[in-house]
Amino acid sequence: MKDKLNKIEEAALLAANEAVGEVELQQVRARYLGKKGEITAVMKGMGQLSPEERPLIGGLANEVKGRLEEAFALRQESLRQELMQQKLANERLDVTLPGRVQRAGFKHPITQVTEEVVGIFAALGFGVAEGPEIEKDFYNFEALNIPKDHPARDMQDTFYISEDVVLRTHTSPVQIRTMLDQEPPVRVVAPGTVYRRDSDITHSPMFHQIEGFLVDRKVTFGDLKGILTTFINEFFGENIAVRFRPSFFPFTEPSAEVDIQCVICGGSGCRVCSNSGWLEILGSGMIDPEVFKSVNYDPELYSGFAFGMGIERLAMLKYGVNDLRLFFENDMRFLKQF
Amino acid sequence: MKVTLNWLKEYVDFDYNADDLSHRLTMTGLEVDAMERLGEGLDTVIVARLADVQQHPDADRLTVCTVDTGSATQQVVCGATNHKTGDLIALAQVGTVLPGNFKIKKSKIRGQESFGMLCSMSEMGLSEESDGIMILPSDLDLGRPVFEQLGLKDVMYEIGLTPNRPDCLSVVGVAREVAAMAQAPLRLPEPVISENETLVAEKTSVTLEDSNLCPRYAARLIENVKIGPSPEWLVRRLETVGLRSINNVVDVTNFVMMELGQPLHAFDFNLLRERRIVVRRAEEGAEFTTLDGQVRTLLAADLVICDGEGPIALAGVMGGGNSEVSSETTDILLESAYFNPLTIRRTSKRLGLHTDASHRFERGTDVDMVPLALDRASALIAELASGQVAKGVVDEYPSALPRRIVTITASKASQVLGLELDADDIRLKLNSIGLKCDLQVDRSDEVVKVEIPNFRPDIEREIDLVEEVARLIGYDKIPVTMPVSSLTCQQLPVHLSRERQVRDLLLQSGYSEVINYSFYNPSCLDKLRLAENDSRRQNVNILNPLTEEQGVMRTSLVPSLLETASRNLAYRSEDLSLFELRPVFQPVENSEMASESLRLTAFLCGRRESQGWAQSSDEADFFDMKGVIEQLLSNLGVSDVCWQVEHDEAFYHPGKSCAIYQGERLLGTLGELHPEVIRNFDLAPSSILCDVDIEALFELGDKTIKFKPLSRFPDVQRDSAFLVGVDVAAQQVLSILNRVKIKDLESIELFDVYCGEGVPEGKKSLAIRACYRAMDRTLTDELIQNLHGKLIKAMEKELGAELR
Repeated sequence: MKDKLNKIEEAALLAANEAVGEVELQQVRARYLGKKGEITAVMKGMGQLSPEERPLIGGLANEVKGRLEEAFALRQESLRQELMQQKLANERLDVTLPGRVQRAGFKHPITQVTEEVVGIFAALGFGVAEGPEIEKDFYNFEALNIPKDHPARDMQDTFYISEDVVLRTHTSPVQIRTMLDQEPPVRVVAPGTVYRRDSDITHSPMFHQIEGFLVDRKVTFGDLKGILTTFINEFFGENIAVRFRPSFFPFTEPSAEVDIQCVICGGSGCRVCSNSGWLEILGSGMIDPEVFKSVNYDPELYSGFAFGMGIERLAMLKYGVNDLRLFFENDMRFLKQF
Repeated sequence: MKVTLNWLKEYVDFDYNADDLSHRLTMTGLEVDAMERLGEGLDTVIVARLADVQQHPDADRLTVCTVDTGSATQQVVCGATNHKTGDLIALAQVGTVLPGNFKIKKSKIRGQESFGMLCSMSEMGLSEESDGIMILPSDLDLGRPVFEQLGLKDVMYEIGLTPNRPDCLSVVGVAREVAAMAQAPLRLPEPVISENETLVAEKTSVTLEDSNLCPRYAARLIENVKIGPSPEWLVRRLETVGLRSINNVVDVTNFVMMELGQPLHAFDFNLLRERRIVVRRAEEGAEFTTLDGQVRTLLAADLVICDGEGPIALAGVMGGGNSEVSSETTDILLESAYFNPLTIRRTSKRLGLHTDASHRFERGTDVDMVPLALDRASALIAELASGQVAKGVVDEYPSALPRRIVTITASKASQVLGLELDADDIRLKLNSIGLKCDLQVDRSDEVVKVEIPNFRPDIEREIDLVEEVARLIGYDKIPVTMPVSSLTCQQLPVHLSRERQVRDLLLQSGYSEVINYSFYNPSCLDKLRLAENDSRRQNVNILNPLTEEQGVMRTSLVPSLLETASRNLAYRSEDLSLFELRPVFQPVENSEMASESLRLTAFLCGRRESQGWAQSSDEADFFDMKGVIEQLLSNLGVSDVCWQVEHDEAFYHPGKSCAIYQGERLLGTLGELHPEVIRNFDLAPSSILCDVDIEALFELGDKTIKFKPLSRFPDVQRDSAFLVGVDVAAQQVLSILNRVKIKDLESIELFDVYCGEGVPEGKKSLAIRACYRAMDRTLTDELIQNLHGKLIKAMEKELGAELR
């Protein structure tokens, strides 16, 4: 009996190892351990054994059964591994095919640059203000120290709606509206659409500006340089050279034009910077006392600075766009690049 | 304003090189827009003598010249006709590159060899146009560069002057700035006039009828002049600053204007009736013919220069044809005057007549320059037109304009600039540009009293002086600091943050943002089939548009968006999803101002998914766009909207569009475009559009978030299909189901709509999935059967629906 069990074990192990595939292994398992299997038959035949032999053979049969169970499990695991390896070896994706994408929406570059500029000034503690695009002459000119008949009006060609209402020529009227509305300290930027009666490769009758100003006690021209230098380094990069030079705006005094080192040629001179190595990017200055008077701020108590820049110009320099008109043609081939 | 390096050197000594001067001018506030080196690279254009000129054997219009360069002779073929043997000419040798990148090469012209070219003035960049080649003065050295020999090696600077600096509308004015930077004295011209015996006071007189408009008028009489061409140096000098030579007298007046900034005018004295000058306001409606031959209608606000009978010049703007200097002129009355800037500006602006003179007068000339300019010009005319200057000057200046005194304190300047300054720093800087300073020490502060010369009409207040000081110190010397200010909370305004929210949603949904002009041609509304009385035809008009295409402010974003789509389709971008989020403008009754309100317009056409090997090519439709709007409404917290089939918008397909309402409030419209609109704009069939009043959504939206607890018990779903009339709208079904109020009904979803086989004619099948869940227990089958039964009953009762 003992021999028989040993032989069965030997045969079963051999068969298990020779089994090809899980199905065959199951069949082998059934032949030995199934209800009608050989080991089961031995267990069923225990009744015929002597009471002395019974526990011995019974124990032995259980041991063999246990060993076979273990062997079958092992064999099954290795067959599964084999099968998986085979499958993995055959399954292949062409990972270089393009991915499946949602239709993408593109934010207009004007919006992107506006948000970036607003973001930088927000980080410096500036709030955001807005004003109407159809504006009273008073806010657009008079309150900004640009009286009627002043040659400074020639600096900006204006679209008129009526004698006293214009399409705002700059975002500076928002300065006036904000100051009439709030007491110092104020720190605000005002992005917006502006209009000038001019149209060619470098001028668009509609474009975008962002205005900013800060009013508090003891604000200096040095502070203006500090804030604007910080902004330029955030927007164009740490290493870009900046210069401030005297200019004229009726609503600031002293006034400064701010140039950056040409981002196209790096300062050596090219067509974009008309060989000067510098690019004008914003106008600024200390707010003129006349402006403070028109908004009822005491110029003896407060001082402040203001600045304004063209969004399209910033975008053109940042992305290397060479034609202003592209921003308003909205060609998908253009929009997709931003 | 144009100046040249050599010209500046006549008034101030400095040794900056061309680039250095350009940089310094820019940094002092006189921005150099362009710099041109005259004669640069033209050293190989040399003086040569025509040793022989022969007719070209094979060409009637050409000559074969033998030129002598002093050291050699060579042959050059020339096409001009104004040269002869013995003339000195400008020879561009082989290898020269003339302006305009014109390279001179050795060549053979009709069989004759040619080594170089004989140049005209325009070919050397000396004038705009010229007749024939340039014949040089006979006293030049052979073989030397022409530019050097003519003294024309120079650098021209074009300065973009700001309107506050009329003092720099002259070479002397710019030289004053250079003198300040070079710390060198400024030399003004000192004309010497030898007067003849004629007493000017006996010959003529000047009457000022309005000394507010003309505070000062001076004149000299110059007799026996010979009108003729100007000498070379004068012609050259005017040309380098952009003025054309007319004749010796006119050229002198222009030269002095460029030199000293004082416009002058020369009258033919013998054409003046009664030989006298009256300065007065024009008669309202009077007609006057200016030098350019135009007849101008005058107003009483215009200032005119008259003779004994009537106008002879439009003061400060342009002379008249009736008193113009001509080749016949022998005696000249030379005017040097100061006019009220505003008057000149109004007249010049109204008549659209902008001249070099009016440009200066309207910005403010220097009243104290009147006599010097008059003498300078008289001396030059005497010299160049061999005239005799009559004795004396007529100088009507009834009340001298007061000199302004402006004070500046060291503390104010220091505080504005953020730079420690004392009174001496300030005084030195202001002195350098000709401002006289008087220092006083107050108990607490150092005060500088500054007398402002009349050439600086822009300096009126302390802050103007602070700017001068800053400018002269150099902005680069002012330290960079950061402001110290108290913290305040600076949130993005609600309106703007919501606008960003809407934009971001559209972008995430695959729509690209466009920005179109705010103005359009109102006729584009016809293409949208808008009714004649549509309120969007009430426009805000632009009084002075650039073109009719930009004539009115837009009341709708739709036309420009459709045009954008159409343009993109033409470029074969066929799958489009675009939006514009911008204001529209409408007039407001009884107000000058207009209303501006934010709108959202979106457009969709083509395939739903972007194209690719693994993507569906299904066409996008109405429901793609509707989904976006539903999402938008939900994001902004606008609920209880109704999608109404009846609406007035004529640009939609009537059966595939709707209006969006909340109660009575119209929030927008949505639909497939009308086939005619599709044709008008050349769009793709089944293009979808929506047009939403975003401000209404902002107003109605309520984004308060109220948490609902989560159930820990399983849900049970029941699907049922109903047969309903084909006209029953999904909205009706859903609103009934929402009204039934079944306890523990968590959600209802409409998941299928079917018409066709198996569904009787006139009916459609709607499949609904109801989801039940209780907070406190697992729902039993029996209970759910009961709940779902109620739902089915409601459908049967309210809509006559049959369970399938």
